[in-house]
Amino acid sequence: MKTRREFIQGLILSVGGAATLSACGDNAPAVMATAPHNPGRFYTGDEMALVNRVSDLIIPRTETPGALDVNVAGYLDGLMSDWANADTQNAHRAALARLRADLDAAVGVPFERATQAAAEEALTDLDARAFEIDHSMEGYRRFKGFITQAYFATEDGAVQELKWVALPGRWDPSVDITPA
Amino acid sequence: MADFDAIVVGSGMSGGMSAKELTERGLKVLVLERGPEIIPERDYTDNLNPWEKPNLDSVPQDEIAEHYPRQYGGVAYAIKESTKHFWVKDSEHPYEEAEGTTYDWLRGYHTAGRSIMWSRQTYRLSDLDFGANEREGHAIDWPIRYADIEPWYNKVETFVGISGSAEGLPHLPDSVFQPAFELTDAEKSLKASVENSFPERNVIPARIAHLTDATEEQKSLGRSNCQVRNHCHQGCSFKAYFSSLNATLPAAERTGNLTMVHNAIVESIEYDAAGNRVSGVRVIDAETNEKRTYTAKVIFLNASTIASAMILLQSKSETFPNGLANHSDQVGRNLMDHVSGANATGYLSGFDNKTTFGRRPSGGIYIPRYANLDGQDKPYRRGFGFQGGATSVGNAGGQLPGIGRAFKEAHKLPSAWRIGIGAFGEQLSNPENRVTLHASKRDKWGNPIALFNVKYGDNEYKMLEEASKDAVAMLEAAGCTNITATPVNLTKPGNRIHEMGSARMGRDRDTSVLNGWCQAHDVPNLFITDGSFMTSAACQNPSLTYMAFSARAAHYAADLIEQGVI
Repeated sequence: MKTRREFIQGLILSVGGAATLSACGDNAPAVMATAPHNPGRFYTGDEMALVNRVSDLIIPRTETPGALDVNVAGYLDGLMSDWANADTQNAHRAALARLRADLDAAVGVPFERATQAAAEEALTDLDARAFEIDHSMEGYRRFKGFITQAYFATEDGAVQELKWVALPGRWDPSVDITPA
Repeated sequence: MADFDAIVVGSGMSGGMSAKELTERGLKVLVLERGPEIIPERDYTDNLNPWEKPNLDSVPQDEIAEHYPRQYGGVAYAIKESTKHFWVKDSEHPYEEAEGTTYDWLRGYHTAGRSIMWSRQTYRLSDLDFGANEREGHAIDWPIRYADIEPWYNKVETFVGISGSAEGLPHLPDSVFQPAFELTDAEKSLKASVENSFPERNVIPARIAHLTDATEEQKSLGRSNCQVRNHCHQGCSFKAYFSSLNATLPAAERTGNLTMVHNAIVESIEYDAAGNRVSGVRVIDAETNEKRTYTAKVIFLNASTIASAMILLQSKSETFPNGLANHSDQVGRNLMDHVSGANATGYLSGFDNKTTFGRRPSGGIYIPRYANLDGQDKPYRRGFGFQGGATSVGNAGGQLPGIGRAFKEAHKLPSAWRIGIGAFGEQLSNPENRVTLHASKRDKWGNPIALFNVKYGDNEYKMLEEASKDAVAMLEAAGCTNITATPVNLTKPGNRIHEMGSARMGRDRDTSVLNGWCQAHDVPNLFITDGSFMTSAACQNPSLTYMAFSARAAHYAADLIEQGVI
């Protein structure tokens, strides 16, 4: 069975491209394996727990893997450690602190101990406020953006959920969408 | 005896074409490239999948601040972790602006220069453009007309490969085309509405330098059709889009007449006053600082509009105390770019059951210039074209309300179609818009750094205000909703990365640097065929024109060498 890399290499040769794929896959990121409550390189244990819980609520496992399955929290831990500058790190940390406070207040107990139904209700309400009413919640919206972009940047998120195709090979400007 | 028949300074868009044509005429050619070598197998990153690019492919913020503040500020969309090696570090290549002015000098120093990172939009100029200065009495007249360059457009396009559609527009002549990327349904709807409401306007497929029906010649260079991945900023292992590295340099190399030297920063061009000719190029090795001189019968400057002017200004002699071939004092002046900053977006309904397959590269539609085609009928001079496209909004990167399954699946549901168009306008030449050598500051190799002094004139501001209104009117005519036009905010000079005019061509050596063959009036074996020669900017993306003039000049120079004239 061909690996994905061998498959693409074959396609390139078959259509006449001369380059090889020395770069392909060599820089694959190593997203640190993270445990739900253990600190990462950037996140404290409490922050890691919150990021895991919230990302799971935003992108749960359905017929396709969810945020927990692809370790979005680990991805964001790396993003904050290796990409973000101090201002971004501080803003992100502050956004998480406010999010925790808001969610804790909404459910009346530490958020991670809330029932699934209560957690979903609290986050749904908070999310609605962030998108429709409260412009001071930009930190949450950015956090949600990070979660989503990180999820779709994983192989499962890109291929299984978004049906990302490495090599379309053709342009079709008009594809009918048929109900599943 | 000279080391080479010809030296070409620069390996980018125009330098590659100069080298190809000169070597194919049998001349021994040295190409000097100031940057390191790009090896596609090693340096292209187009085959990386999203999950193989850490941190959302973003360059660390502290690294941006330290090394790429100007480059990233100008083209953040193109500078990723996987592509940053194609852009210069501002920390190593500084420049300055005169007080009260700004300038984006966005560039890459390596094999093939910016032809690796260009946006590949490819349009001919017409006599509307070549005759504009004369008609208006502005600046000086171009010394050529469309008929002079038309056969060279044909030759170059046949080699390069341009996807597009024949439209028969006299002010935007058709190229030698390979099949266009077909418009989306929403774009076709826009086209019908705009052309019905504004009969003088056209909405056509963008003309881009991507192979869609590769010729045998193109295949023989290892090039193949575009795979519609839109990974072009990362290079192209299929060599489907045109770059010097994908096409002209390999063509030159296979003649056996090409020598290429990297890391060779030009310090000056040596001038032989007795023979009134340039005799060689003095370079500094970028890595060792070793200096050496290469000699040749003819020299082509293709270092880019700004760098070529600086090389001339650095090359002072008794004969040319203000810089080589600068009797006219026009070297470095008349610096032009295209001007943007008038954009509009809107949403089209009725296509929610439609999507696309493939990731079409480099935009979708082009609205050619329609202003002042038959005389002066607008409150501004010249004109602009719009670039843009209509696509299904798709994955919103998390900026959708909701959580859970509904949120997750919203990213792949049929979505609204958004149309966006943005103007590219002509900047009028002005001799006070110029680049000079900084009086005291030098780079790490001892060459003076660039000092820019460029401002837009009233015409550019007036034109973009009108372009913004036109954009909204067209989206309204198309039936768009939620139309948004941000306040007109002109792009920084240089930001469109279409620098032109620093050694303009003309008929009079007192007012121009080059004649109609891109040959220096003052020094007959010196040619400049990058954007420096442009006498006016037109509003079309200019790379194709640079290449056509390069090919024409190369053959002219080869003829002169054969005749023993130079």
